[in-house]
Amino acid sequence: MEERTMNHDATYGSTRRTFLSRAGMGFASLALGAMLHRDGYGSDGHWSPPTGEPHFPAKAKSVIWLFMNGGVSHMESFDPKPMLTKYGGKTIAETPFAETQNPEKLALARAAVPDANGQQRNKLFPLQVGFRRHGASGIEVSDWFPNLAKQVDKLAVVRSMWTTDSNHAAQREFHQGRNRIDGYFPTLGAWVHYGLGSLNDNLPQYISVGTRPIWNKKDGLYLGPANDAVPLRIDPDNPLDYSRPQGTFSRKEQSIGKDYIDKLNALRGERYPDDDAMAARIKSYELAFRMQTSVPDVVDFTQESEETKTLYGIDRKECEDFGTKLLAARRFVEQGVRFIQVQHGGGGAGAWDAHSGLKKNHAKNALAVDRPIAGLLADLAQRGLLDETLVVFASEFGRTPGSQGSDGRDHHVYGFSVWMAGGGIKGGVVHGKTDEIGFHAVEDRHYVTDIHATILKQLGLDSRKLEIPGRKRLVIDHGQPIDAIIA
Amino acid sequence: MTQPATRCRWSMLLILTLGAFFPGIGKGASNPTDYLSGVKPLLRERCFSCHGALKQEGGLRLDTVALMIQGGDSGATIVPGDARESYLLARLAANDLDERMPPEHEGEPFTAKQLAMVRTWIDSGAPAPEGEEPEADPEDHWSFQPVVRPDVPLGEVAWRRNPIDAFLSHRHQELGLVPQPEAPRLLQVRRLYLDLVGLPPSAEEIERVVNDRSAMWYEHLVDRLLEDPRHGERWARHWMDVWRYSDWWGYRDILRNSQKHLWHWRDWIVESLNRDLPYDEMIRQMLAADELYPEDADKLRATGFLARNFYIFNRNIWLEQTVEHVSKGFLGLTMNCVKCHDHKYDPFEQADFYRMRAFFEPYHVRLDMVPGEADYERDGVPRVFDAQLEMPTYLFVRGQETRPDTSTPIEPGVPDILAFDELEIEPVALPTRAWKTELRPWTAAAHVTLAERDLAAAERSLRNLVNKQKKDSHKPDAKIERATWKVKEAEARLASVRLRAAASKAARPGVDAMAMIATRAEAVRGERALELVKRQAAVAAKQLSLDQAKGDERNAKAKKELASATKALRDAEETASKPVLLEETFTPLEGAKWATTRFLHTGRDDPPITFPAHSSGRRTALARWITDRRHPLTARVAANQLWMRHMGEPLVADVFDFGRKGSQPTHPKLLDWLASELMEHGWSMRHLHRLIVTSAAYRMSSSLAGAESNLAADPDNHYWWRRTPGRLESQVIRDSVLALAGTLDPTMGGPSVPPKSQENSKRRSLYFFHSDDKRNLFLTSFDEALPAECYRREQSIVPQQALALSNSKLVLDAVGQIATRLSEQTTDEDGFLRQAFVVILGFEPTEREIAASREVLRTWRRLPDTSEERARANLVWALINHNDFVTIR
Repeated sequence: MEERTMNHDATYGSTRRTFLSRAGMGFASLALGAMLHRDGYGSDGHWSPPTGEPHFPAKAKSVIWLFMNGGVSHMESFDPKPMLTKYGGKTIAETPFAETQNPEKLALARAAVPDANGQQRNKLFPLQVGFRRHGASGIEVSDWFPNLAKQVDKLAVVRSMWTTDSNHAAQREFHQGRNRIDGYFPTLGAWVHYGLGSLNDNLPQYISVGTRPIWNKKDGLYLGPANDAVPLRIDPDNPLDYSRPQGTFSRKEQSIGKDYIDKLNALRGERYPDDDAMAARIKSYELAFRMQTSVPDVVDFTQESEETKTLYGIDRKECEDFGTKLLAARRFVEQGVRFIQVQHGGGGAGAWDAHSGLKKNHAKNALAVDRPIAGLLADLAQRGLLDETLVVFASEFGRTPGSQGSDGRDHHVYGFSVWMAGGGIKGGVVHGKTDEIGFHAVEDRHYVTDIHATILKQLGLDSRKLEIPGRKRLVIDHGQPIDAIIA
Repeated sequence: MTQPATRCRWSMLLILTLGAFFPGIGKGASNPTDYLSGVKPLLRERCFSCHGALKQEGGLRLDTVALMIQGGDSGATIVPGDARESYLLARLAANDLDERMPPEHEGEPFTAKQLAMVRTWIDSGAPAPEGEEPEADPEDHWSFQPVVRPDVPLGEVAWRRNPIDAFLSHRHQELGLVPQPEAPRLLQVRRLYLDLVGLPPSAEEIERVVNDRSAMWYEHLVDRLLEDPRHGERWARHWMDVWRYSDWWGYRDILRNSQKHLWHWRDWIVESLNRDLPYDEMIRQMLAADELYPEDADKLRATGFLARNFYIFNRNIWLEQTVEHVSKGFLGLTMNCVKCHDHKYDPFEQADFYRMRAFFEPYHVRLDMVPGEADYERDGVPRVFDAQLEMPTYLFVRGQETRPDTSTPIEPGVPDILAFDELEIEPVALPTRAWKTELRPWTAAAHVTLAERDLAAAERSLRNLVNKQKKDSHKPDAKIERATWKVKEAEARLASVRLRAAASKAARPGVDAMAMIATRAEAVRGERALELVKRQAAVAAKQLSLDQAKGDERNAKAKKELASATKALRDAEETASKPVLLEETFTPLEGAKWATTRFLHTGRDDPPITFPAHSSGRRTALARWITDRRHPLTARVAANQLWMRHMGEPLVADVFDFGRKGSQPTHPKLLDWLASELMEHGWSMRHLHRLIVTSAAYRMSSSLAGAESNLAADPDNHYWWRRTPGRLESQVIRDSVLALAGTLDPTMGGPSVPPKSQENSKRRSLYFFHSDDKRNLFLTSFDEALPAECYRREQSIVPQQALALSNSKLVLDAVGQIATRLSEQTTDEDGFLRQAFVVILGFEPTEREIAASREVLRTWRRLPDTSEERARANLVWALINHNDFVTIR
């Protein structure tokens, strides 16, 4: 493995001063530093880009962010509600829980964007799956997640999440912390990348695997495109956009050409000395050429044992795809990649979007992710990586306690679940709760940015110190770390 | 102002003295530096907006220590040396939310650590820097002052080519800067081509300019390029960034945001720039062509600027974006900040946002039919019109749409500080054809064509089914039955449309009344017949469903539906059997379609909006205010954009914020001179283009060679002693590759190239479909404009760009073609090499560059399975990946 040194080279300082002072600064922060400097900031001494060092001692080094596109039913995964079964078929008004539909409680912090979906559904829909207690902690997990259930003592389940966008732009809201009405903002991964840079020279530093069905693919936004996630495919032959020539051009020809380009740029530099952009571009070509081989190496599993592959469920058709992604995620963590975002399930607005046929839908999706995720947690633990790797399981919202049509559930923003594991998070704990039908988060309520705050804290970052001039963030953007689940 | 300073020094003295006797006090002592770097920035961020130059709530200002001591209505806010007695600290630290400052929702409360810092500073005697100046009066802010044409300074004659240089020279002399020499001619040619037409010069074009012996060669080239139609395409893309061009997005075919066929607006931009339509007129047309030129289809395209903000679900988001970007794009104002609260930096109150919104409150979007095409999925011009003339505008408490203040409707208006005249809003009576769209001469014909096309299509699918069926033709075929009904319905529709077209024609003046009545009755009958066929088809369809229904539940449902369809058929039959009454009329063949909204949240489309005979005149009034010569912002903002896009860096760094939060211009007089030139030359952008590119400043070298003393004095080139090199925009990179390969498709205008066709398309990149969720991968790699907001492109350098230029099909397909073209002009190797450098990179290679190139060709040739052509293609590949290919040197 490469020596773990901070890499802060291959980017562009648009002014001589920033370029010359580049040593020790982050790849991405440098790009931003240059941008802001260009805009006239930073000269008054009030602002300087991140150094790539944590602000305080970190407990985690990397994050694996598992995002279930479409919206997982919290009641049928990690927050069982037997009352749904008891009162199944009744309207909420007919049950003792009529108060949940008090319009005051339903008024969202931000206006929702309703279309045919994203409505409240009044007729309670019975639970579609059984629940059992597991592990020493005795936390209940639905029978759709039998393997993950065995790892439950590693999890901190937060059952009291809420968000505001009743449609799938809540995916964006979950990552950027703001309702789409407010516009586009950098995502959590971009902030982490911006704040910490990378531990490896040869790889993209912030990676996205799997589809992002309906939200903008830009992450860095005002932090600059250097903080965008690099979309990867787990395919050694073609892992990265443009990672191999789309035409006849041999590696040998290319490498001869690369040396020649370097020579020409150096000669040109005699007439145009001290050109920061040129220096940065030369570096970016070096990194690009290295990435062409190092990325395929990481996603090539020939060195992995059959036992490991089995652990991730790669030998089973139903979970091969997600297992492959998670094994790659572990390999990226080993290589020092900071933030690996793994999305599960494309199609429409996301595979979990069970407006109808929830039972079939969730059973199938859970089957696809259960073994891989359990395998990832076990594997990270056995390699001693779980302590420094924070694993997060989330989706944009939960699903309605009431039924949509005869056998589905609609989008639900008032209460849902997220869990975290590793990276200094307590294992085997449940935090917060929803009411008896899973409608509202009622205890220890957390907006999505509290998840961000918790992760940043474990990584040793203070989001307020990352804030940049001219881009004032609101209190809610920063969120509050969920200290109760931090070990 | 000397007194507080004296007091401050006295306090310092006291601290030092006390410190000598009580060492504990010295610990944590503060000094003026701590105040400036710690306390003051906090106060500036959280307090100045209400207690500073902008506002003086409670008669209090906190922008200098002296003013704090002086205090406000409640007396002194700080007692130097005694934090416990200081009112400021008490309010900052108050637990009671009614007491605490900043008030809830107005700013983040101070943390314990921050309070401790303020406490330490006060306890240390509240030391302040000498001569601390209060904030300037907002009314004196530079950008709110009228544009006054400045005198051109007497510059150094040798360097100066036009007045721009005189303004720059002035600062050069003050700072001892020596401008860099002029760039080589070849490089100047490349710059002009890339800048003015967005493509590199061809070998022939280079040849022509290099051989131009005229002293005016440069000016001739500038004239030629400004007249070139490709100039409009190049600069349209700049303005499409600023004006937020975005093709539509939606869910499947359902439009949610922007408009289908928005390319009509893009084409209007290209054409307007090519005609040098004055900038002020462009603004007026974009904001209000429907009021100013209600019957001019070409000009109506301009309102795509507003149609682009259409958002099916939420009117408030739609109008917020409209206000935000009209303000940022034309005026350099961040009005979006005052949606929720009074502006924290600029003299705008919350109601100003809603006054601005009121200009737009009545407007909606529709598609106008184009001659020959009545299918709006295929074509139609997106345009705006005032639909809801009585719709009131309300202020939203704290910006929340759930909390409108309905006690006071808000009238359109502009911020006081920018009100140089009475705003006159005159309602506009629209010509009949503007709102009775069925009267447009092409409308009926287009409807007939569409009905004919639909019939042909229905017949075709029936034919296909019948042909397929022959193999096992015994069973009755439900598909065929349905298709047969489709044909009958299409026939009836065509008949009805033809009758209505005839009736519309007969309704025009000059036709005799009897004929008019007769054709009208025919049209009514035609519509009844159509309705009858539709009902018959529905009954047949329901009968088929019943035949196929399985299970009791579905069976019962199908029966029910059949019964109701049958009843509807009986009704239609009854109607059809009645005589046509004299006053009865038919559904007109309209020439426009309202863009459906869903604001009512019923799960279906809102009731359609009819086209009123009047327009409010509000947007015309707004456009006149924005383009008034007395407006201090419009011309300055435009001049700054034009300068930045030619020179790489703006004169005012924050291109969309000319307010107090934004930065000051580096050359205020130059900016004002450019703004004056723009206005005084009839707002001709071409005039400004010419001025800027013919300046000596533009023609300088960008090299740092031999510029040590300049670098020491001005390392960031704020004062323009050299050209700042920049990276080509995404579109220019792609277009250049195709142009060099000779494969660029010069077709101008028309529908956007859809994502599926982009990989193989050779059209210029500005014609590519471009929206929030559909952007081209290659272009995105090079900092493509974000459709939601892009007042300035980024110029990042990331490895993905190297991969795209190295490995993309675009480049790898082109390199062989480029090599072949270069080899056609010269066969010997050195000639080829020289030509390759000149054409691809814009400079003459040195001996060493030639030597390195000969060597690399040799190396490639020695590889197995290679050829001379392939080696040369590889060389072209290398030059495309040379730093200077993507650089404006």
